[in-house]
Amino acid sequence: MREALLSARGVSVRFGGLVAVDEVDLDVHAGELVGVIGPNGAGKTTFFHTLSGVLSPTAGRILVAGEDLTGRAAHVYATHGIARTFQTPRVFKEMSALDNVRFGLEFAGRTRRHAHDAFDEPAAILEFLGLAEVAAVPAGGLTPSRQRLLEIGMALGARPRVLLLDEVAAGLTHAEVDLTAQLIRRVRDELGLAVIWIEHAVRVLMSYVERVAVLHQGRKIADGDPRAVARDPAVIEAYLGDEGEPERRAA
Amino acid sequence: MMTLRDSILATLLAALALSAMPWLLSAFALSLTLTCLMYAGLAVSWAMFCGATNYLSLATAAFFGMGAYVTAWGAEALPYGVAVLLGGLVAAAFAALVGAAVLHLRGAYFAVITFGLGELVRHAITYYEKSYAGTVGRVISAPPEAATIYHTVLLLSALAVVTALAVRASRLGLALRGIGADEERARTLGVNTRRAKVLAFSLSAFFAGALGAAMAMRWTYIDPLSVFNPFIGFQTVLIAMVGGAHTILGPIASAVLFSLLTEFLRLQFPYLFLIMLGFLLILLVLYLPGGLASLFARWRWRKSNA
Repeated sequence: MREALLSARGVSVRFGGLVAVDEVDLDVHAGELVGVIGPNGAGKTTFFHTLSGVLSPTAGRILVAGEDLTGRAAHVYATHGIARTFQTPRVFKEMSALDNVRFGLEFAGRTRRHAHDAFDEPAAILEFLGLAEVAAVPAGGLTPSRQRLLEIGMALGARPRVLLLDEVAAGLTHAEVDLTAQLIRRVRDELGLAVIWIEHAVRVLMSYVERVAVLHQGRKIADGDPRAVARDPAVIEAYLGDEGEPERRAA
Repeated sequence: MMTLRDSILATLLAALALSAMPWLLSAFALSLTLTCLMYAGLAVSWAMFCGATNYLSLATAAFFGMGAYVTAWGAEALPYGVAVLLGGLVAAAFAALVGAAVLHLRGAYFAVITFGLGELVRHAITYYEKSYAGTVGRVISAPPEAATIYHTVLLLSALAVVTALAVRASRLGLALRGIGADEERARTLGVNTRRAKVLAFSLSAFFAGALGAAMAMRWTYIDPLSVFNPFIGFQTVLIAMVGGAHTILGPIASAVLFSLLTEFLRLQFPYLFLIMLGFLLILLVLYLPGGLASLFARWRWRKSNA
């Protein structure tokens, strides 16, 4: 069995009496595109925070390519190849779009370059994302959907092995989501990245990923092929109280 | 846009021109120029860290005073140049130590703790001097000539400007700007934010310490209240902010303006000058929040859109 690029083992996060993430296991391998879904408050974003080192888990371990990084600072995760986006885009507003992408390249991306690709140049990354014409524009002046794309560019600049996407489709039109999803697949194929993609909107995600994990009240209740997961009684049950019928929406 | 090399060259040329002043100016004008230079060096080095990161440090007086006391204690034993260097190094080491402990605090907490730090050092030295050395202040018995002190302060301030320019163009500068914009985001992109902050904080403290060490010679008598004077720290922060803390030219221009204005008001209106200065500050902060540098930017913008 190949070693997982990113591995969460029994990860729990407690805020006082509240258990936000409850003993979640997740292994992700190079080249995988994994979706993580769950109703509001299922602990998706908190789980992401632990995977990127933004938050230390209360219990459990995080391994990156076999190396235990539990409790290390976020920049250590970044230099080990974990890059992420945030739910609300957090671009450096005063810096140009180009400098935003260059930022990752100068730090996390500096220590580890891929064997082959055209992504060593910030301009190439902007080009890839279709943002070439706004390279010199301060990031704060871009439209929200472009800021979302730029965030992916910042993460790509960090030369990741694992890309964590937190609701990149939120607020985008259907066509934009489709474009973004194609983009993500292309990066994954070209660079051989592992991608974990969180989305609140189930239907969107199910059609793009090859594997999906479901979080509910902090626990992982399903993990596998999207079609099988959509038929899982436990998953249907979990969604009933929220927005209902993931089955039909996912089909 | 000026390149880094052009800017450094311009700084060195300006410093060269200013180095002739002791032979050209009267003693009064020279002392005024010295004050301008001191505040330019303090404000630029303060902005080097605080302007980019948006951390508000009120510890300048602490670093300045430590440097001054290194000179006061070592004046007999150490050559002047060594004392100045040592003053800077002691302040830098202190800043690194303290920075490692408190630089995870942000905003008002960081400001308050750095201010408290200055008070702590001041009281510690006062206590030590009274209890063990049996003195209130210190007289520096054989200070160097006024021109030597002037040249030292000029050199330090020019070095502060060159360092600020180099930092701004470096990866450290980019890291600091990232920290100022969104510290957690910078961390997730691989910046060791703690190391970058401690390094820059300590670098900026070096200049405050060295300037304190040099200026102590100028005053010939120092006591804790005069060299740890919070006014020095506040004045530095205000000068940098009024000038535009994210720029380098802004704080320099504002240091000159402030020093001349303070002197003028002090001479013309000895009883009203602090009131007038305070009033002026309120006006500036209210109507020019981006600092003097924003005036220049606005002018350039208007020109390019004309």
